[in-house]
Amino acid sequence: MTNNLDSRTVSAGDRQRSRSYHREFWPGIAAYVVLVSLCPLLTRAADGSPWRYLWAVLPVLPALWVLRAVVRHLRRIDDYQRLLMLRGLGVGFGLAMVASLTLGLLELAGLDLPTGWIVYGVGMLGWAIAAATAARR
Amino acid sequence: MRNNLKTLRLAQGWSQGVLADRLEVSRQTVNALETGRYDPSLPLAFRIARLFEQPIEAVFLPDPEPTTAGSAR
Repeated sequence: MTNNLDSRTVSAGDRQRSRSYHREFWPGIAAYVVLVSLCPLLTRAADGSPWRYLWAVLPVLPALWVLRAVVRHLRRIDDYQRLLMLRGLGVGFGLAMVASLTLGLLELAGLDLPTGWIVYGVGMLGWAIAAATAARR
Repeated sequence: MRNNLKTLRLAQGWSQGVLADRLEVSRQTVNALETGRYDPSLPLAFRIARLFEQPIEAVFLPDPEPTTAGSAR
């Protein structure tokens, strides 16, 4: 009986909060993937026109939707989970800054790299790994 | 800070998930509280005490005073 009471199954509240988060988060990611795939086609079609800048930044809209989902999730969860999530974000931010500094120095040395994408990737990966590590505890 | 949360929960026959729902926190938070990895905020500590109908000092106990070399002498 004690084993059953110590089970690590999620609570009804956890399930509900998680469902709400996924319901808001994944449509944003799906829209982002679609727009990122369409972006090169749209910008190429508008080559030479100022419209190409608008098409180029179109994926920012679903990214803002995803950010909204994360903020709403932060407001739904309790203090401890918020602490873990913000700690993960902090790790991601720290790694992104270190990556940015490293790449900046490499650029000064003459190396040509897609700096923005690498910084973004390192930051997101750092956040994801820190959040996954915290969730396993 | 130490606490008697696990003892109180088991006495009620509740799983961590059930206690989490009653406190409106996650099961992960209940686990962190029981294992001493997380000290609750004051509002949560009062909610826990109210739920178990115990005074707050019966649920949460201060860590024992560290014995220093100076005081041992």
